[in-house]
Amino acid sequence: MKDIEHLVRVAVIFLTAIAFFLVARAMIKPPDYGKLGRYRAGALDDIKALPVKYAGQASCAGCHKAQAKEKAGSSHRGMACESCHGALAAHAAAPKGPKPSKPSEAEMRRFCLRCHEASVSRPAKFPTVDDSKHNPDVACSMCHKPHAPKL
Amino acid sequence: MHDAVVVALRETLGKVTGFIYPNELELQWSILIVLYPYLTGLVAGAFILASLERVFNVKVLKPTYRLSLLTALAFLVIAPLPLQVHLGHPERSFNILFTPNPTSAMAMFGFVYLWYLMAVLLLEIWLDYRKDIVGWADSDPSWLKRLIYKVMTLGVFKPTAKSFEIDDKVGRALTVIGLPSAILLHGYVGFIFGSIKANPWWSTPLMPIIFLFSAMASGIAGVLLLYMFLCWARDVEIEMPCLDTVAKYFLTAVIIAFSLEMLETVQKAYEAEEHFDILQLLIEGKLYLSLIVVQVWLGSLMPILLVGLTQLFELPDKVRKVFYAVSGSLSLVGIFAMRWNVVVGGQFFSKSLMGFTTYKLELAGREGLFSAFVISILPLVVLGVLLWLLPPWEKKPAKA
Ligand code: HEC
Ligand code: HEC
Ligand code: HEC
Ligand code: HEC
Repeated sequence: MKDIEHLVRVAVIFLTAIAFFLVARAMIKPPDYGKLGRYRAGALDDIKALPVKYAGQASCAGCHKAQAKEKAGSSHRGMACESCHGALAAHAAAPKGPKPSKPSEAEMRRFCLRCHEASVSRPAKFPTVDDSKHNPDVACSMCHKPHAPKL
Repeated sequence: MHDAVVVALRETLGKVTGFIYPNELELQWSILIVLYPYLTGLVAGAFILASLERVFNVKVLKPTYRLSLLTALAFLVIAPLPLQVHLGHPERSFNILFTPNPTSAMAMFGFVYLWYLMAVLLLEIWLDYRKDIVGWADSDPSWLKRLIYKVMTLGVFKPTAKSFEIDDKVGRALTVIGLPSAILLHGYVGFIFGSIKANPWWSTPLMPIIFLFSAMASGIAGVLLLYMFLCWARDVEIEMPCLDTVAKYFLTAVIIAFSLEMLETVQKAYEAEEHFDILQLLIEGKLYLSLIVVQVWLGSLMPILLVGLTQLFELPDKVRKVFYAVSGSLSLVGIFAMRWNVVVGGQFFSKSLMGFTTYKLELAGREGLFSAFVISILPLVVLGVLLWLLPPWEKKPAKA
């Protein structure tokens, strides 16, 4: 016994550590973990409770009939209103509140060129322009209507 | 709009070529993910060198035995750090242990790591040093160290002679278990890459084996350099038979690692699957410097040539030392380049096989060059502390 005393002590330390781990695990692991999958089942409710930020196109169209109609007939029809105007659930719920943003004339070029800047990585059919050649320094909206851009 | 994002986007878009998918614009696996297999590789390599001495009874390696173990420990302690820094939430890392996911190789790594750290490395080092620790516990001049040593004896101050015999046997058994553990630890890193089937640069069953042998090469090179450096710093003679043997193992590991890498490349070239065209462009273009020049020529062929020369001809000690030191350093750089070529190289081409992405290595920032540098230095700091506490060489008698 004297010869393996030190090994016994190590074993005790290891077993204590494992026991500590198991106790810690029992205390820390959320009780509903693993009920539905490898996550906390309660997380679903937590996520559901988060405020919704996007209202969806259908809701905009209810009040902004003109823009919705204009856009529906244009090549921008596939884009949701909020992909350009940002998340506006708060506005849709309370239109009298702070005015929603729309790209100003100053930032218009950069805004449209996010999608329309010529780049080899874009499909060849996608309409693109070269920033430095396509009417430089004039806001795109001077000529193109954002909701119906075809001239 | 978020101006900074738009500016960064524009800049990056200007650097990609061909057609890439939008989600490929930003490289997700940064230099830290290069560092991670590099550090674990050094661990596995150093440990395997130690095991050779222990399991196969290679007596000449004695002077590097303890040094290899301490090196393995120092690098192992730091090895998960690049992952933690990359992912961001270190406080969550315990969750992979608390809620284990047996179908995730990544998650199971936590257990492999713990097993290897606690059950293999720490125990083995402790058993090997126990005799010294007991001695130091009452002879060391510093009270702080005496206290630490006393704790490390676990209260067994008068060990019996028989207990050391038992320690030796247990230590031996641990090494036998440790060897496959070390291989598992590093094989797993290769396994992660090798099993990403969507990426033709990674997806090959050879990957774990390639990683393993390059790990051995880097770990052995690391110990070789550390041994030479420490001898120089302590002003003692290098034991040439030991150094020669380490160099021989190093040469073996480099040759096998290099052959496997080439075998894999030749096989890819011969198969010439649809992705080979872009891989070829990658090798000739973006990876030319880091793969052909650094990994192949400087990191593999030069060491093979230099150490090979020492095997063919009887060279004076001085020349051999220089050759070993140069080869070891080149190999450490070359294997870092190899990890880079695998990790970053594998993200340089688009899944469309029609375009190249780009990686901008920032200087500061969480995943920048600076933090990578700090993380690479840390294991050496840890090693310094370990060498201070557990000198692998005979301690000078107290108050001589
Ligand atoms: C309940 C009706 C209603 C809904 C739903 C609604 N809005 Fe509005 N919106 C308004 C009204 C009213 C104004 C004018 C507010 C003002 O001038 O102060 C307005 C103003 C705007 C403006 C600013 C116009 C300007 O001239 O500056 C934008 C842009 C806008 N809405 C976009 C949207 C979008 C996008 C949606 C869908 C997510 C939406 N709105 C949903 C009623 C609505
Ligand atoms: C391609 C991006 C884009 C999309 C999609 C888009 N808008 Fe706009 N919208 C703009 C821009 C840009 C302006 C500002 C025009 C200006 O200042 O001349 C604007 C202006 C507005 C205005 C202010 C009045 C006006 O006509 O100038 C309203 C209201 C509006 N948008 C509602 C909508 C609604 C509702 C939708 C979805 C049916 C929508 N927008 C979709 C870009 C867009
Ligand atoms: C979120 C991306 C996006 C933004 C922002 C955007 N567009 Fe577009 N644009 C499109 C898409 C998608 C099309 C349709 C392309 C197609 O038909 O293949 C399009 C089509 C067009 C066309 C071609 C019209 C036609 O029928 O030939 C013009 C012109 C245009 N956009 C101008 C603009 C202007 C001006 C702005 C800024 C107010 C803008 N776009 C902002 C995505 C965008
Ligand atoms: C001075 C007026 C003017 C301004 C400002 C202007 N455009 Fe145009 N744009 C035109 C005209 C006119 C055409 C049609 C020419 C043609 O079809 O060749 C056109 C065509 C386009 C097209 C279609 C190209 C194609 O291949 O079908 C796109 C996309 C476009 N513009 C985007 C923009 C964007 C984005 C901006 C702002 C950065 C902008 N334009 C600013 C006048 C303008």
